[in-house]
Amino acid sequence: MDISYVGEWSLVGGIGQFLVGLALASALVSSVSYLANWVPLARKAFYLHAGSIFSVIALVFALFIGHRYEFQYIWKHLNDAMPMRFIFSAFWGGQEGGFLLWMFWHNVLGLFLMRGRYAHTATAMAVLSGIELFLTTMLLGVYFGDFQLGLDPFLLMRDAPENIGLPWTAMPTYLELPFFQDGQGLNPLLQNYWMTIHPPTLFLGFASTAIPFALAIAGLQNRQDKAWMKPALRWSFFGVGILGLGILMGGAWAYEALSFGGFWAWDPVENSSLVPWITLTAGAHLLLINQNKKRPSALFSTFYFPLISFLLVVYSTFMTKSGILGDTSVHSFVDSGILPQLLAFLLVFVTMAHLMLLDSGKRRWYGLALLLPWGLVMLKGWVVEGLVGVLLTLMGVALVAFKKDVPKSNEEDALWSRDFWMFVGSLLLLVSALHITWQTSLPVFNALLEPFSAPLHWLGEKTGIGMFEIWAQHDMAPGLDLDQTFHVVQVPLAVLILLTIGFTQWLKYKKTNLSTIKKDLFVGSLVALVGLGFVLYFYDYDAWEAPRVALLAAAVFAASSNFRYLRRKGRTNWKQWGSPLAHVGFALVLFGAVLSTSQKQIISQNRIGDLSTLNDELDNREDLLLMQGDTLPMGPYFISYVEPKTEGIHVKFQMDYFDSKPKHFEEGEVVLIDGMVFQCIAHHNASDHFEEDMEEKWQFVPFPNQRQAREAKRWEPGVVGDFLFTLHPRIQLNERMGNAPEPDTRHWFEKDLYTHIKWGRVSPPETDEEGWLGGRESTISLGDSVLLGSVLVKLDSLRSIRDEERPELGLLQKDLALAACISLKDRGKVAVHEPLYIVRDSLIIPDLYVAEEWGLKFRIDRFDPTEELIEWTVWEHESVRRDFVVMQAAIFPMINVLWLGVILMTLGALLAVWNRRTERNKQSS
Amino acid sequence: MKRSHLVLLLLTAGLVGTLIATLTSTARSVSFTEALAGEADSYKVSGTLVREEPVVYDPQVNSSVTEFTMRDRSGNVARVLLHEPKPTGLEQSESIDLYGHFEGDDFHADRMLMKCPSKYNEQNHAMGDATELPGT
Repeated sequence: MDISYVGEWSLVGGIGQFLVGLALASALVSSVSYLANWVPLARKAFYLHAGSIFSVIALVFALFIGHRYEFQYIWKHLNDAMPMRFIFSAFWGGQEGGFLLWMFWHNVLGLFLMRGRYAHTATAMAVLSGIELFLTTMLLGVYFGDFQLGLDPFLLMRDAPENIGLPWTAMPTYLELPFFQDGQGLNPLLQNYWMTIHPPTLFLGFASTAIPFALAIAGLQNRQDKAWMKPALRWSFFGVGILGLGILMGGAWAYEALSFGGFWAWDPVENSSLVPWITLTAGAHLLLINQNKKRPSALFSTFYFPLISFLLVVYSTFMTKSGILGDTSVHSFVDSGILPQLLAFLLVFVTMAHLMLLDSGKRRWYGLALLLPWGLVMLKGWVVEGLVGVLLTLMGVALVAFKKDVPKSNEEDALWSRDFWMFVGSLLLLVSALHITWQTSLPVFNALLEPFSAPLHWLGEKTGIGMFEIWAQHDMAPGLDLDQTFHVVQVPLAVLILLTIGFTQWLKYKKTNLSTIKKDLFVGSLVALVGLGFVLYFYDYDAWEAPRVALLAAAVFAASSNFRYLRRKGRTNWKQWGSPLAHVGFALVLFGAVLSTSQKQIISQNRIGDLSTLNDELDNREDLLLMQGDTLPMGPYFISYVEPKTEGIHVKFQMDYFDSKPKHFEEGEVVLIDGMVFQCIAHHNASDHFEEDMEEKWQFVPFPNQRQAREAKRWEPGVVGDFLFTLHPRIQLNERMGNAPEPDTRHWFEKDLYTHIKWGRVSPPETDEEGWLGGRESTISLGDSVLLGSVLVKLDSLRSIRDEERPELGLLQKDLALAACISLKDRGKVAVHEPLYIVRDSLIIPDLYVAEEWGLKFRIDRFDPTEELIEWTVWEHESVRRDFVVMQAAIFPMINVLWLGVILMTLGALLAVWNRRTERNKQSS
Repeated sequence: MKRSHLVLLLLTAGLVGTLIATLTSTARSVSFTEALAGEADSYKVSGTLVREEPVVYDPQVNSSVTEFTMRDRSGNVARVLLHEPKPTGLEQSESIDLYGHFEGDDFHADRMLMKCPSKYNEQNHAMGDATELPGT
């Protein structure tokens, strides 16, 4: 049946799908002809591929700008209400856009790579085209039965599998249906300017790992020639700079806009982008060692690190998009149907990279032959079993290649040479990467162990080794204690890495006379000692945090040592700046990160906690309950909750900060502290802590008289001072993901003040027709007080009703009746009320007692004479209800050092790339 | 033996040691029954929210306790006192990991991890609902 649909841009969709097909074909042609060394054809094919991908991207943007909701991708990620400045965020809000962004950068970088005039260019381009070939299949959206190949960005809503056959798809004018007048819109969490700049930077970083990968493969193909190393080195440093920036932009996003309470949470999604950065950095340094060496050392690692950096990027894509992370990550995705495809992509390139390590074509065929049985096992349906087989075989291949296929030098680097210590530093980085990968991959290991559960269990029983039993359970998860899970290994490693950085910079390649650099190292150590003293003087660290403090000192050493080097060598030649600048930056990143996180100071505490009767469990040390209009002391400030305001998809809470001035106490004043009463014996301004004044200014009153007991108020060090500033933490109204808090942060040079709402009312509370809010049941003992809204309610006494009162209260003689005498107190206003508890013929007669002017309603549900307590239900009236928020505020000291470090590190890395570029031009001219 | 091999060996030994150490300390999830019987301070229990039972968070009574009911993977049900303000998206969560111990009949959890439906997944739901609209 041919229906001509009215108003559809189906032509654009058709062109787009054709272009995807063209991109696929041209990537294949490019890859094959580069391999066959038909360079002119290969180049044209790559141009065609790049042109197709750029056009596809332009078309998708056109669909976004045109608000073409007949396309599923547009409908899912755009709506009319969304400001157009979020169009980029919308573009890469889904997986299709993510792949397009990734491919965009591959093509841009490919256009540079193909201009190389060294022998390895063709093979490297063949590899890059091959990667593109696989990525293009992710955009196909073709079905083979139930098997889905790729996600088509040009898919029409009416062609979506879940819609096929529905009656409206046969309507020529279906686009006039109300449903198609607006899209679903982008998840509000992603409508954020960070989302505009973070993904493209990160993906450029990811894409730049593909170039050293491709060059390393080419280098393995042609081992006699080392020409691949120089371009691989440039691209590695480019990747180190950009990927590092992209990762920490993600951290800045989390810190500024999401309520994580920090910038790094060791979340699997974060980790899986950090690990490729670490291995890429290690690889870049190995390339640096070997690029000029006649007899390369650690050649295997020089090949292997660039290889795994890209493979880890693909692995990261696989982990975050496949749903395998499951419950260990807060922001993992559920499988979108392309899991097998992602797995195939990963497996093909892992296999290729490892087989290429073998030296000859024949040996590679043998390797492939060893893998074939496992491939058959996987095709038979035992996917996981086959996968484990493949992985173990490839590990064997790598081991054989390490032993036999990659040449080793018999010469050893001198102990005091840059070469040796750069190698040591790279190994340290590798260990760090391995550890993070291990912890992050536990869910993957679980999946791999699952089919072997029974034999592992049997092994565990036979051998008595607990580890087998743990594996048999295939239920491992990283602990939530970050200190135990990550810091225990990563912090000592970082200390070693930082020391290596600070020290190795001064060494020369090949051999160094130590006495020439003694003074420089001494100065560096001295500065580190001063830094250590500074840290210990200004900040509190426990003994168990010693590794952390060592890290801070090592960071100062690395930064100062490299800074000194920069001043020494860079005075005459700014081209020497790259490496020391990047190292200073890296050291500052670690310094700022560790100091601001470990000295993060949560200043919000629940002050209502001192009304111990309110609730036993109210020992909250991190959150502050703040009534609207109240001004409470909080850390070095006073804070006031002014009002909530709804703006678009946000509710903004106005929080005013005030200075805290020392409180003045006159002689004779009484205060309460920890339940004890003290009397002032000399007028003074309060210090920060009571203990400091206690000796000289206060006298303990063991038996306070009635006046003293009445007048004693909790001791406070401060009174409200000048208005300082206002912060507007927000709650984003997000129907799809649940309402999400967004912090607001005040920045200073040396610290940040971070404020966020943990609970706030975003819609008016529900009431009955008369305006009463839902009742709350609670228990109160004789003499206790509770806070209801702003009213302090105290159960003073319980008395039985006298006979003469009964007629007036409508009670019978046989009734058992009890009155609870409660006093209500609110800002100087006091009143006494007597709700009743009535039992008639052993039945409780519910008696509602309304304290009109207080906006409170009571009903006593039970009376326990032995415990002298009553259970009651209390209602509040909306007229007296005051709004409140539960909020948290924290100070992050020295966090700007982190951001400064990021900038310096990126600049340094890019400078290193730039200088090597000019080096190349000089050589070629 | 070459010096670089020595370094490699040392690092490998250190790594294997720490990996085994972290592996044995890795929290494994248990059932409510095991957690109730055991003496340890903290257990990890995984399960799902029982939607029929109320989720109680009343900041005026206690701003740092959220009460709800969870069914663990073996099907046992327990009331949970989470010592945190109500996390966003608890009601929508697909699975929950709790870290804590029993006090009486209540499981007191210091920390909780949730798996929430991803935006993709949810969009699929929305699509399913939405597609019925034009047809009716």
